[in-house]
Amino acid sequence: MLLAGLYATMAYGLGLIYGVLRVVNLAHGGVIMAGAYLGWVLHGSLGLDPYLSIPLVVGVTFLLGVIMYRLLVRHLPRGAAGGPASLLLLFGVWLVLRNAAYLLFSGNDQTIRTAYSTRALPLFGSFVSVNRLAVLGIAVVTPVLLHLLLRRTYLGRAIRAVAQNADSCTLVGIDVERIYTITFGIGTALAGLAGLLSATIFSFNPGFGSGELLKSFVVVVLGGLGSVFGTGLAALILAVVEVFAILVLPSYLTAAVGFVMLVLVLVLRPGGLFGQRVLG
Amino acid sequence: MTFRWPPIVTRSAALAFVVCVAALAVAPVALGFSVYTKNLVTLAFLMISGALAWNWMGGFVGQVSFGHAAMFGVGGFVAGRLMLMEPPAPAPLAWLAGGLVAGIFSLGAHPMLRLRGPYFSIATIGVGEASRLIFTYWEGFTGGSSGLSLPIDADMKDRLYWWGLGLAALVVAASYLIRRSTLGLQLLAIKADVEAAADVGVNETFYQDLVFALSATVVGLTGGLYAAYFSFIEPGDMFGFDRSIAFVLMSVIGGVGTVLGPVLGAIVFVLLRQFLLASYPQLYLGLYGVLLIFIILFEPLGLTGLALRLARFVRRRGEPRESLA
Repeated sequence: MLLAGLYATMAYGLGLIYGVLRVVNLAHGGVIMAGAYLGWVLHGSLGLDPYLSIPLVVGVTFLLGVIMYRLLVRHLPRGAAGGPASLLLLFGVWLVLRNAAYLLFSGNDQTIRTAYSTRALPLFGSFVSVNRLAVLGIAVVTPVLLHLLLRRTYLGRAIRAVAQNADSCTLVGIDVERIYTITFGIGTALAGLAGLLSATIFSFNPGFGSGELLKSFVVVVLGGLGSVFGTGLAALILAVVEVFAILVLPSYLTAAVGFVMLVLVLVLRPGGLFGQRVLG
Repeated sequence: MTFRWPPIVTRSAALAFVVCVAALAVAPVALGFSVYTKNLVTLAFLMISGALAWNWMGGFVGQVSFGHAAMFGVGGFVAGRLMLMEPPAPAPLAWLAGGLVAGIFSLGAHPMLRLRGPYFSIATIGVGEASRLIFTYWEGFTGGSSGLSLPIDADMKDRLYWWGLGLAALVVAASYLIRRSTLGLQLLAIKADVEAAADVGVNETFYQDLVFALSATVVGLTGGLYAAYFSFIEPGDMFGFDRSIAFVLMSVIGGVGTVLGPVLGAIVFVLLRQFLLASYPQLYLGLYGVLLIFIILFEPLGLTGLALRLARFVRRRGEPRESLA
């Protein structure tokens, strides 16, 4: 369940950007990693609780996304020609982020440890870590907020409209570039949030995020684009498959499960389990 | 398919090619290459072959693969295992076998080839990483994380230069022929628009399978030679994601979809890597990232594009200015 929540949060970021801009953000893993380190630095140097630093991390990664879009992604050719180019470009961004992290924080594994990291609550006859419960809570609330944002606000309506047809949006006076920028920022902010949450549970290093990127992609494809329900369910399926794989496979191979699933999903159900739907 | 000999293979182009290859063949003796130089050039030959083979898929067909390390590793380990047999298989045969197995292995990717664009690329990341984990786990074949040491004697290592040159020359010639033949045009059509290509009678499934298998065979061959070159192979390196990226980078630096581009890119890549690993090992990933960003934004054809632009500029400067007046 916990994994499902994390996967869903990561996948929303990737799916939102792809749904609106038609760009696969290969730097997604890098942003996830950046979010994790940001939380770690804030916790280590300022003593800021990882949960209190959420707004800060979300804000910074949102800005990172805005900068990435304004500086780089905006200049790519749109449409089919932008496909390979955008992949390679964002891949370059990822390499830079990874290298920056190596330089700043070395390649050692890090964790965020708090006073309550080891505390657990009795729940349904077993013990569940407080920390994990909190992460799960946030991971459940986030999609709901995102859903409300897309459904109930003017901004959300504009984003959905741009996803459907950017040209007509220009006609009715929506600043498409601004929507693109904000969407990219929201996408990366979600990645940053997911990174921060993972950092409170797992250890991480600058290479962190590549597996997460692929898993997000599995979830996005499996769940179909833009459906909050579909993404959540897909995240749950992936998490359950992974957990059961640990039981039957040698531990070393469980990491391959996600990759194999990715290929299977792409080949067998490229439209996702629930058919492909435009955002919303 | 009727194969027409491309009219573009002019006598001068062919002559230049032969002269280049001949010059490189005698260079180590004539110029008295040190062992270091010779090894470096050998590595460049191998990387040229790999980059060009990647480019068949990534440049000609437009299917950017982030998983070519899988074929590189399969070729390397099959060749390595054959060389470790008792009695050992002759090296060229082992390489060939490695290449062929890699080619056959790649046919397993058949269902993936109907994916286009980002979907294909992401799927190749999945395949590449899954192969790395599976082959690292398969210790009976690959030796696990401790790898395999191959019995390569100094004599073999010495001759590897010419084997590498031969392979690189073959691949350059093949790239040129593919590019300029009807096959190349068909691939270009698939790249531009799969459905339109299919409508005018290009069998896109067959050609993609064919080119992917050819590309995999060459990359597998390269893997085999590389195994002999290092005489020690390890799945984490052979199947590593960094290796897949290297093929992409070399082509992008040089110029995707061209013939000379990946050649230039591979040379630059090998030299840059050698220099950076020696002086600034902590910067080398990031530098490639920056390079990638700049190339995509400013000169999508890489070094080749830069050269073309320079040539245009020089020509314009050379022309009399009257036409402007």
